[in-house]
Amino acid sequence: MRIASTQYHATMNSALQRASVAVEDLLQQMASGQRHMLPSDDPVANVRLSRLAREEAGLGQYRSNITALQSRLQQNESILDGMVQDMQQARELMVWAADGSNTSEDVNAMASSLRSLRDSLFYTSNTRDHEGRFMFSGTAVTSATIVYDGTAALGARYSFTGNTGTQNVVVGNGVTQGANVDLNGMETLLNQLDEAVAALSAPGADVNSPAVRTIVVAGLDGLDTALNSVAGKIAGLGGAQNILDTLDGNHANVSLSNKQALITLGQLDYGDAAVRLNAYTSALQSTQKAYGKVSALSLFDVI
Amino acid sequence: MTIINNALTGSLAAQAALKTSSQNVANVMTPGYTRQGVLLSSVFLRNGNGINPGDGVAVPSLIRFSDGYKNQQMWQAASSLGQYSTAQPYLTQLEQVMGDDTTNINAGMDIFFGALNAASVEPTSSPLRQQVITAAGAMAQRFNNLRQLLATQRQSVSQQRTAVVGQINELTRDIALLNQKIAATGATGAIPSGLADERDRKIDQLAGFVGVQVIDQADGSRNVALRGGGQPLVVGSVAATMSVQGNPDGSQTLKLAFAKESFTLVNGNLGGQLGGLDEFESKVLMPLTQSIADMASGLATKVNAQLAAGYTMSGAPGSPLFDFDPTSTNAMLKTTAGLVGQDLGFSSSATVAGNSDNLLAVIDLKNQPVPVSSLGSSLLGDAYTQLVGKLGTDSQQNEASMSTAQTVRDQAEESWKSSSGVNSDEEAINLVQYQQMYQANMKVIAVANQLFDATLAMFG
Repeated sequence: MRIASTQYHATMNSALQRASVAVEDLLQQMASGQRHMLPSDDPVANVRLSRLAREEAGLGQYRSNITALQSRLQQNESILDGMVQDMQQARELMVWAADGSNTSEDVNAMASSLRSLRDSLFYTSNTRDHEGRFMFSGTAVTSATIVYDGTAALGARYSFTGNTGTQNVVVGNGVTQGANVDLNGMETLLNQLDEAVAALSAPGADVNSPAVRTIVVAGLDGLDTALNSVAGKIAGLGGAQNILDTLDGNHANVSLSNKQALITLGQLDYGDAAVRLNAYTSALQSTQKAYGKVSALSLFDVI
Repeated sequence: MTIINNALTGSLAAQAALKTSSQNVANVMTPGYTRQGVLLSSVFLRNGNGINPGDGVAVPSLIRFSDGYKNQQMWQAASSLGQYSTAQPYLTQLEQVMGDDTTNINAGMDIFFGALNAASVEPTSSPLRQQVITAAGAMAQRFNNLRQLLATQRQSVSQQRTAVVGQINELTRDIALLNQKIAATGATGAIPSGLADERDRKIDQLAGFVGVQVIDQADGSRNVALRGGGQPLVVGSVAATMSVQGNPDGSQTLKLAFAKESFTLVNGNLGGQLGGLDEFESKVLMPLTQSIADMASGLATKVNAQLAAGYTMSGAPGSPLFDFDPTSTNAMLKTTAGLVGQDLGFSSSATVAGNSDNLLAVIDLKNQPVPVSSLGSSLLGDAYTQLVGKLGTDSQQNEASMSTAQTVRDQAEESWKSSSGVNSDEEAINLVQYQQMYQANMKVIAVANQLFDATLAMFG
């Protein structure tokens, strides 16, 4: 085939151009550490990478929810722990009060301690968060957990105005965990304690009278029921913490395998890249040398 | 005496050949220059007394080393290359913007649904609710940014089309003018090689802008027509005029006026840069714009409907979070003005503020299908990924076609050069040969002169 003089130059030009494009791509890959610079480099891998990134974002959010939820559950737990202590003290007082050898002055004194414990339980039940929402009212966070109505008959002054609804927190894809506890039932105890306080604080109160004794025994039973109930809630919170730990561990494992897949799919193999760079460099060098030789040939030099 | 005459024709022919070689050497680097050579033929005027060897040599014409088939190949390759290389910058820009995983819509949706998820930890918390609105705004902004980019690209496509049409008109006018000149000089017998080269260069440029078919005419002129529909661009010395007409919906219509006829060019199969622009606009840009609008509309409708099914902190039905305006290019999706965290309908009951059942329903929307025009029904959280995947495939395909077109064009140019390009070594040999021919003819004159002198001396 006949070759025109400019063909050498054109061929050389496009060869250099192609090699430069390849080297430029490679340098960009090496600088960023990414195997794909644009979706079109590998559309399928790009879709996979994007989906993995979405899953990673979801997992990150679930894990951060779990951390926030754990601290919220812990807060609930410590408040409930305080209430358990109050109830235990009240129980000790009631057991003591049930002792028939107590004088009326003794029980009057006990009544005043019992009153403070009753009030403490009442206020703690109505604990609010930073934004003034009631923590133990179920999902009815704007209404007080327990309200006190001084005009009602003794034994019915405290009433529960929350509900038993659960606030569900998303902790996994389709997995939710209750975040709140309600103190439904606490009003019964408070009413019983209220009656006990009234009976024991009456001047000349006699613990041996059947009426007072009935109240004291009912108070003791009520305390036992409430203690069981609250202890059960605390156990539930502890159980939830364990479940959350397990879930978090699962998320961490999935996230780790996702990250490995992201690296396998998306990261550049530097060894391979270095070898390719070398290949391009030596191809470029030899093309340049060949061009130098060929272009120096001209018949005009010898005629 | 015939010896001197023969030598004279020989030396004149050698001079013509040397002149042709010098022109070839001078144009060794000229793009599109077609090399020329001399056609030598021996002259035989009369028989004489039967021992006449001939009457020298003549150069009846110059040879133009041109191969029409190779020209056609080059022009076809120019059209393909023009078509694919015009679309590529647009595709690459879209890919760079849409593929960037930190600034694209996907990441925006991650942030929005992340904020909703975070709100589920404390559904009554004002900062967490506010965060949902802020994240929704940021996500909407990403939709708008992309929508804006698509609108800007459409504008560039329109502007480029207008510019290309202007250049096409200029080229067809030039070609018509050259046709006229060539036909005129052709009639006087001279070979207008320089003019023919210039016309071929113009046709080559024209082929890059729009696919053409070229038909040679007997008078040396070339008729040019559109490859797609066969409408005439140049007939002899008359050129057609192409024009762009903007439509109210933002699209453009191409028209071609030839003499008193006017044609509307149907998009598709135009070839060249015009074809590339049409194809990119109709197959990538417009479907993508529609898909992004579909996604935004699906998202806004679903989220608003779900929020409306719930109740705000004060027990009123939830307010809409998004405001979707399909006609706007820079504010297609935005959050409802004046909305505060309290107004989000997260509760499923009007009387219970701390309920989060409806919030969970909003979070689940990410896994619900929305209709997206170029994908069919697709999950809200996955639609964008699929769109980018589709764009990547389109771009990859275009790039592959472009690389093939480049190779074909390179080969066509090489093939053209192998017949029409100048080889300087060849010209060096020609120079040596014709120089020798010239010197030999001079020697013949000298010999004839000696013979004549000898004859004269006899009378001295």
